[in-house]
Amino acid sequence: MGWRGVRLQSQHLDIAPNTVGFGHTPVLPAHNGYIPVALRGPMTHALCLTVNGEALEFSVEPHLTLLDLIRDHVELTGCRRGCDSGYCGACTVLLNGKAVHSCSVLAVAADGAHVLTVEGLVRDGRLHPVQQAFIEHGAIQCGYCTPGMILSSVALLKENPQPSEPEVRAYLSGNLCRCTGYVRIVQAVLAAAESMREERA
Amino acid sequence: MSELSVVGKALVRTDGLRKATAQVTYGVDFKLPGMLYGKLLRSPYPHARIISIDTSQAEALPGVKAVVTGKDSPEGLFGSRINDQPPLAREKVRYIGEPVAAVAAVNEATAEKALGLIRVEYEEITPVFDPKEAMRPGAPIIHADLGKYQASPIFCHPVPGTNIMNYMKIRHGNVEMGFAQADFIFEDTFTTPAQHHCCLEPHAAVGQVGLDGKATVWTSTQGPYKVRTESASALSMPPSRVRVIATQVGGGFGAKGRAKLEPHCVLLSRKSGRPVKIVLTRHEVFTATSTRHPSVIRIKTGVKSDGTILAREVEVILDTGAYSESGEIVCWEIGQGAAGPYQIPNVKVDAYAVYTNKVPAGPMRGFGWPQIMWASESQIDIIAHKLGLDPLEVRLRNALEEGSVSATGEVMHSVGLKECLREAAAAIGWDDQRPPNRGRGIACLTKMSVPFLPSSAFVKINEDGRVGLLTSAVDIGQGSDTVLAQICAEDLGVGLSDIEVAVPDTDTTPPDMGVIASRITFHVGNAVRLAAADARQQVLALAADMLEASPEDLLLADGKVFVRGSPDRALSLAQVSTAAFFQKGGPILGRGSFLDEDVVPTDPDTGQSPKPCPYWKYGATAVEVEVDPETGVIKVLKLASAHDCGRAINPLLLNGQIEGGALTGLAYALWEEVVFDGGRITNPSFMEYRIPSTVEAPNISPIIVEAEHHAGPFGAKGAGEASTIGVAAAVGNALFDAVKVRIKDLPLTWEKVLAALEKKADDDRKEA
Ligand code: FES
Ligand code: FES
Repeated sequence: MGWRGVRLQSQHLDIAPNTVGFGHTPVLPAHNGYIPVALRGPMTHALCLTVNGEALEFSVEPHLTLLDLIRDHVELTGCRRGCDSGYCGACTVLLNGKAVHSCSVLAVAADGAHVLTVEGLVRDGRLHPVQQAFIEHGAIQCGYCTPGMILSSVALLKENPQPSEPEVRAYLSGNLCRCTGYVRIVQAVLAAAESMREERA
Repeated sequence: MSELSVVGKALVRTDGLRKATAQVTYGVDFKLPGMLYGKLLRSPYPHARIISIDTSQAEALPGVKAVVTGKDSPEGLFGSRINDQPPLAREKVRYIGEPVAAVAAVNEATAEKALGLIRVEYEEITPVFDPKEAMRPGAPIIHADLGKYQASPIFCHPVPGTNIMNYMKIRHGNVEMGFAQADFIFEDTFTTPAQHHCCLEPHAAVGQVGLDGKATVWTSTQGPYKVRTESASALSMPPSRVRVIATQVGGGFGAKGRAKLEPHCVLLSRKSGRPVKIVLTRHEVFTATSTRHPSVIRIKTGVKSDGTILAREVEVILDTGAYSESGEIVCWEIGQGAAGPYQIPNVKVDAYAVYTNKVPAGPMRGFGWPQIMWASESQIDIIAHKLGLDPLEVRLRNALEEGSVSATGEVMHSVGLKECLREAAAAIGWDDQRPPNRGRGIACLTKMSVPFLPSSAFVKINEDGRVGLLTSAVDIGQGSDTVLAQICAEDLGVGLSDIEVAVPDTDTTPPDMGVIASRITFHVGNAVRLAAADARQQVLALAADMLEASPEDLLLADGKVFVRGSPDRALSLAQVSTAAFFQKGGPILGRGSFLDEDVVPTDPDTGQSPKPCPYWKYGATAVEVEVDPETGVIKVLKLASAHDCGRAINPLLLNGQIEGGALTGLAYALWEEVVFDGGRITNPSFMEYRIPSTVEAPNISPIIVEAEHHAGPFGAKGAGEASTIGVAAAVGNALFDAVKVRIKDLPLTWEKVLAALEKKADDDRKEA
């Protein structure tokens, strides 16, 4: 039946998923449910992952994405599925400190890595300055893009503690938001950079 | 108005902390024990008869727990104001992507596999994709039963035996006479494409049906009661047997206002005896939910040489796709506003919503007004340039103001249009000198509110003095939980943090017609005020007893009731509500219901009414652009969006609404188009349908203008949609100002700009 063929095909076109996000590091293209013939079968791989500081072990099928692993197995829903094909950034996590689209990373490729999700940003009941700034500056509307947006911003400010507005805009271009028009998101990131600098000083 | 302590303040949203830390449960996150996963088999044909469906192989697949087809819901039809849609296709399919069968299985992969085992035999019928062709005699008829469908007589005037799902008209004055008196007559045709909502959260719902037949649905929705009514109608159930609970919603914009997958979850759960969850893939969201209506709009305008508009005749054709999906009311509204927010003595409008074999077009942020304002405001610019007048001046000359009479015969109130025009123009430096290839453009916007949509609220004072606010308004990101809580807090003399906003649930929160049409602040806000007043009066009556004072002498402020003039004779709200619990045997419960009672249905033959809707919104968008003549790319340098919102209950959230809406409007102007090849959508992913990211989005300047409305809560009107509306025309007008080419078909892509520039160079050469 043609219909399903269409769906799989169009997802398959998105094989270069990491080209969108400026701040996103290519790891391995995921196959979004498509399992190459060579990989089919009940084969599983052992996998160690540190998620938000906690060391976890899994046994996963080779086609499982990091997004599926985090959402369905670790049950951290701040990691969100928006498109499953590397274009929206809702699934952003920090993989060894780099922002990646977790839907476009195979779980097995993240073996041994440190993963940070938005749930891991709160330390001792204190919000990360980026979270605080997002709240105060009205950078959150429906909130669906928010965790990914916040994590990309955290990665940016680690790389570049004093970004200009165009730098913020360039870095966040892999995180789509349909609600805000981005004005307040950009303001929040600049404000967070400021407050983090003050904290350090 | 006396000093306000909570209303009018730029307070941060009450759910910000939860959202920044992901402590919220969206539809896609919701889970129940024993839950199955559902998938929909969709039609591969735009128009075909269903000969047979064989589900036996799918049912035999291990892990499959239920398969349903049209036979499982043999009768019910649903729709917004015209019931024309079955939950699963019965005799025929009407668009590519229409649900034909549904499967529930232990996991998504099994359900997906089972879809491939369902054999459907189709017989193709000639499809029709172009609305103008669909209107011609002899066109294939998409709904043979159009005349039999249950429809609202106020809004729907279907033409049985045709594909015209709705036809509305306005007759005001005498256009022929107006044209005869005009110095100039302009006639232009404009078109707009389909645009997609692109909520980042895909549609998701979980349904659970008990053996007693009662259905409960958790869904990412803008309208729990709407989903309840439509699901009940689709499944031939009494509405109160369907309980709809809203989850957190990851964007709506109109896409989630109505039943989509809820009836399917219920059917599958009923058959399997287990809860069933359906989450659409991004591809399904693009191809099989809904879009903004594509349109063809012809406008003829007669003006005097000083720019005064004497007559306007408008024909609007909306491509509503295979089902009404609120297209009937989009058509009704677009007709009301087709002449623009101007004082025009002679107006004639004919608006049609026409079925085609495409995915249904439905409500989307702006609700028909982005289309009509694109056409209307582009033509105002054409007129101004032809007459050698300043486009801003032409608008100011004709604009509606307090007391003007509209094209539908209404005496207008709360009209901040001229101020919006002036402020938006000033914000971009309207009169500044600009270098070559730069230009500025402006456009008005207006939008009516939908009439006859009641809202209710309950206010419950807890024993600790904190206040529970129960409404069925869903905060889909626009911030209504915060705004309604501000209104409630203001009226009860408590702080914003003293209000607990309940989760909308049709079994417990009162009826409401949904987060649509920018109506929550106005409608639900009014209901909240009435409920708060009711609660307040009960508090004061009880406190009067306790303080041995008369209720008239009591004041309610800072969470306390005290006797006027002697602040030490006081009780805390907690003391009063505890007394209510233990002395009266129940909580203080305020109740409020609001309906725009003074609205008069429009006359079906003339469209006239002294008050067709509760209120009108106004605004103006001004932009400065730079056009690259080599590439045709339009770069927006400044975008100012001014809004008359009546009164800003929360300027911080309001500015966010203005900015977000303006970017959606800009995307409509420059980039976005759902591309159809016949009935098939050819760009159904974020790769092919690009929505603007941080790098494409310009900085946006929101401007708030307050022309208070006497019936609004604290004078407020609505705000959610307006800023989307006028952007396209402002950009098109700025394009003309910059490089003197006029494009009448959205979006204004670089290809079209280049082609227009080349044609202009050719024409100039020929002339020389
Ligand atoms: S879900 Fe990963 S980029 Fe959209
Ligand atoms: S806040 Fe809704 S998508 Fe960004």
